[in-house]
Amino acid sequence: MNDTRSISASTLLLLLKLRAVLVLVALIIVFALLSPSFLTANNLSILAKHVSITAILAVGMTFVILSGGIDLSVGSIAGLAGMVAGGMLTVGIHGHLSGAFVSICAALAVSLLVGVLNGLLVTQFGVAPFIATLGTLYIARGAALLLSQGRTFPDLAGTPEGGSTGFTALGQSFFLHVPLPVWLMLVITAATVLIAARTPFGRHVYAIGGNERAARLAGIRIDRVKVWTYCFSAVCAGLVGLIIASQLESAHPATGESFELNAIAAVVLGGTSLMGGRGSVGGSLIGACVIGVLADGLVMVGVSEFWQMVIKGVVIVLAVTVDQFQARIQSRLTAAPLSRGDTPRVLA
Amino acid sequence: MTFLRMTACVALVAICGCHARDTRPLIAIIVPAEDNPYFKAEADAAAARAAQLGYRTRVDVHGDDAYRQDNLVDAAIASDAKALILDNAGTDASISAVRRASRAGIAVFLMDRQINARGIAKAQIVSDNDQGARLVAGEFDRAMHATYPGKSSYAELIGRESDTNAQVRTTGFHAVLDKDPALTLAAAQSANWSQSEAFSKTETILQAHSDIRGIIAGNDTMALGAVAAVKSAGLHGIVIVGFDGSPDAIAAIKSGEMDATSLQPAVLISRMAVDEADVFLRRGFTGKPEIQIIPCDLVTRLNAGQFINFEKRQ
Repeated sequence: MNDTRSISASTLLLLLKLRAVLVLVALIIVFALLSPSFLTANNLSILAKHVSITAILAVGMTFVILSGGIDLSVGSIAGLAGMVAGGMLTVGIHGHLSGAFVSICAALAVSLLVGVLNGLLVTQFGVAPFIATLGTLYIARGAALLLSQGRTFPDLAGTPEGGSTGFTALGQSFFLHVPLPVWLMLVITAATVLIAARTPFGRHVYAIGGNERAARLAGIRIDRVKVWTYCFSAVCAGLVGLIIASQLESAHPATGESFELNAIAAVVLGGTSLMGGRGSVGGSLIGACVIGVLADGLVMVGVSEFWQMVIKGVVIVLAVTVDQFQARIQSRLTAAPLSRGDTPRVLA
Repeated sequence: MTFLRMTACVALVAICGCHARDTRPLIAIIVPAEDNPYFKAEADAAAARAAQLGYRTRVDVHGDDAYRQDNLVDAAIASDAKALILDNAGTDASISAVRRASRAGIAVFLMDRQINARGIAKAQIVSDNDQGARLVAGEFDRAMHATYPGKSSYAELIGRESDTNAQVRTTGFHAVLDKDPALTLAAAQSANWSQSEAFSKTETILQAHSDIRGIIAGNDTMALGAVAAVKSAGLHGIVIVGFDGSPDAIAAIKSGEMDATSLQPAVLISRMAVDEADVFLRRGFTGKPEIQIIPCDLVTRLNAGQFINFEKRQ
């Protein structure tokens, strides 16, 4: 391979690696041109709030996918968490209403429980992740419906007498002019990036996704790592359900339907391979931004729902096609040293 | 692990074996969903009336999926149901299922939604979506003029666009609103009947069009999503109307967050369907025309106290 070919190929590779960022920038430019209010501070704040929903789910699911699994239950867990908190705030346990903090903790604990169930099904019972989490998708959705017999829990704003106020702060309050859900998204992403890059746990996740057998032989406690990834994904999903319930001041059992698909799309757009082992947490955040900008921008411009679905689908398919393209070029360039942005490889 | 599996099997067998024999005739009730207050009220009212009249009932949910509805109809045939009370999964997609049920000797009574075929179902009892839409659009128009003299613009939240009722309602809205030169439609988006989708789409629409003074929604769930978005944007005096008459919307009308809604008499309709099924099963005819259209009621702050759970207080 001569030098010029190799250089142009590696430039191409860099562009391909940055494709999610490039798509994001392109989308922002297009929507800014089409709608004058797109780049206003107010709209960016709302846009970031909408992105945070998909981003928290996607970042939470990244470890699961990196380890070679999948979590289809996140949307249902979001619905269930909202219903648990809603029920505790408005109906209470034996008529005794809980405060906002207790309700939030209980909802996250229930989410964690579903995550543990996912992890145990996958590791101890040998159920394929797709099937295990498909099962818990139905179980969690059914449980959410059972909690209220299908009704909505309204008025989560609570009353001062009942001592249940404060729940709405989770989704509606601001810190330094930025909505709280956006802060949550940033904190969770930052923590996850650190875990992925700087801790043994993060390296183990990549190792398991890269080659599970090799990882096992290297002495990694595969089962334990996997259970943790499902737990993390589930708790993030629970948090999303709570944010939505807090924003709407009501909990609806169907909340979160098909959210798992948005989250998976964001992870894949961010360059994480569904086969596991390759990808990054930051990519998932960018992927979620692409999906969020696309959804909000198309609404602002006034594109119909049907076209919105077509366009979203096209973007996802294109992203994965480019992903395959990148993999092919990368294998042609195996002699070239790995660039700085590369994710850690499988450890021996 | 073997122990766990065995316990699970034993539990399953025990649950299945616990069903007592019940010889009352069966009325199968199939509705689109039970996580929606409207369909829930409809299913509950039908089941309660059927039980009151001495029938055994079974409530199933097709989730607006015509294929699932097909399977549920097969299950109703297999379990020898005498009558089927159905809120169907699509005007055209449901025809074959209804035909199969009636060929199998089940008297089918449709409520809430019609099918595009006559003479197969014994009755099709529906609320007048067109009249209801015009009614609430008229009130929306009046409230917009009362609050904002002169020209003003509004946004519309449409239901799932593949759903006939979404189409009928938006057509009804526009039959009234398009005649008023003072009102401009600034944005129209589908929020798929969903509250969280209506919330985020309304937030975005309000950013793109800061001059919006009113929001008309194809159902109450979306209207309540719009209420939350308007509140979150810190706006006041936006006129919001919905459709359905859900208890949550009526509470929002009482507190002034929403202006009006069109109440579909769901409870009345499903009781009528069960009553007519009862008459048919005893006498062989209903004595009523097949298509029965029941008008909607306008609910505003003035009369909100008269309505409860899709029903006018007697």
